[in-house]
Amino acid sequence: MSSSSSSTSFAGGGGVRPWPSATSVSYSGKRIQKEMMEFNANPPTDCSAGPKGDNLYHWVSTILGPSGSPYEDGVFFLDITFPADYPFKPPKVVFMTRIYHCNIDAAGNVSLDILKDGWSPALTISKVLLAIRSVFTNPDPYKPVMPNIARLYLTDRTKHDEIAAEWTMRFAR
Amino acid sequence: MAAREGHETPSEKPPMRSEEEKKDESMLSPGFRSAAAMAGWDEEALLLASLIVEDTPLRESRHKKRPGFLSKTPSSTNSIRKRRSRRQSPGSVPAVVLCLDDEQKDVQEGDGVKRREEGDGGVDEKKNGGEEVSGEKVSENGVPCIDRLREELSCAICLEVCFEPSTTPCGHSFCMKCLKSSASKCGKRCPKCRQLISSTRSYTVNTVLWNTIQLLFPDEIKARTKCINTSSPKTSLERRIRNTINSNARTTISQAPRAIARDDNNGSNRRRRAMPSQSEDAALALRLQREEFMEAFRENDNEQQQQPRNASVYTARNNLRAMASRAVNFRRRGRFPYIID
Repeated sequence: MSSSSSSTSFAGGGGVRPWPSATSVSYSGKRIQKEMMEFNANPPTDCSAGPKGDNLYHWVSTILGPSGSPYEDGVFFLDITFPADYPFKPPKVVFMTRIYHCNIDAAGNVSLDILKDGWSPALTISKVLLAIRSVFTNPDPYKPVMPNIARLYLTDRTKHDEIAAEWTMRFAR
Repeated sequence: MAAREGHETPSEKPPMRSEEEKKDESMLSPGFRSAAAMAGWDEEALLLASLIVEDTPLRESRHKKRPGFLSKTPSSTNSIRKRRSRRQSPGSVPAVVLCLDDEQKDVQEGDGVKRREEGDGGVDEKKNGGEEVSGEKVSENGVPCIDRLREELSCAICLEVCFEPSTTPCGHSFCMKCLKSSASKCGKRCPKCRQLISSTRSYTVNTVLWNTIQLLFPDEIKARTKCINTSSPKTSLERRIRNTINSNARTTISQAPRAIARDDNNGSNRRRRAMPSQSEDAALALRLQREEFMEAFRENDNEQQQQPRNASVYTARNNLRAMASRAVNFRRRGRFPYIID
């Protein structure tokens, strides 16, 4: 049993792709660099993003709370981590600023389809940020990660908005 | 279509009538004209039908202009206005209004002409613009819309100009390489529209698009082909490593049995036989990789370029790390049988 398992694992590692292909890392690096240039050329509204320090794979981003939402005037910081095979795997986006939102959990993880199964290599960080921004104004209470907030959103919208605005006041200024 | 024709025919009538009126002003007495106006113009139109048919080039030109104008402005507001004015004209103050009507017509016509001229001007401007654009393009390899072209012809996956573009059945084009890796890593769906790409279809280069891109961005394509050529030695090196490892493995496998058979005569020979050779291979690969790393470093020192240096250092470092972890894994696995035994 151990023989077969070791041999198969060796084949898995050595037969198909023995070494991490040298092109993949530079490929993702190139793509991220390109994206950074494009982002700086025309950034999406109320969003900013850029590498944290000199690591191209670790970005920091801010999103201003869209006006008309309870998150108005808030500045939300996000941590973006690109995987090594980036355009083919989604980036990890985590809110560093606390936020009262039914689709963002207490640790700041965003439950967004395009950051999971719905990812496509044709998506870019600017599109992701726009999607997150639209989640600010249109939360999806039917696929919540914070069920209590979703319940409040559905039953007492004004109360929900009040709390969200209060949190924005407290944490996002 | 029928409705449009319906609009057209009534709007065509009044100018004819008024034209006739103007013409026959000298012939017809004002009284008759007013009476005719009171009676309605259709009768007169019938009476003067023969004259209308064989008429002056002026009318012909008008006649010709009108449908063109109408077809250019598909909204029926104009013809409605005309109909309204016609409806009003006979009733209120026949003769004078008729003249006014004619003038109005003229004004409207003039408007139309003006508008048409404007339209034509617009078209002409556009044409000129297009000519200018193409002229400039011819002169200095596409300055004004080259950026847009680049955007259009760039691959959504690598964000660069498509290199050997391949077009999906849904009509989106990507670099063939990008599309292949997307299919293998993210599933066989179009990255742009998520339509399923049939798995049986082999990816082919869209030759027309590829030639166009080569014509439009010769420098970039050259740079990229050069890049690929310079990186191919690396891949060939990798292949070499793999080959040496394979051959090594073969030789060690053929040599190993005796040594191991001497050690102990268990049934797990094959397993143990392979393990040491694997860790040896890993060590060899590590050494080769290190050499490659040093090479890359030296090359980049010579080149004095920041970007590729960083990239290659990244890759080399990453490779090294992966190699090391693999070697450790192999060693662990190599030990396993002994532990189990």
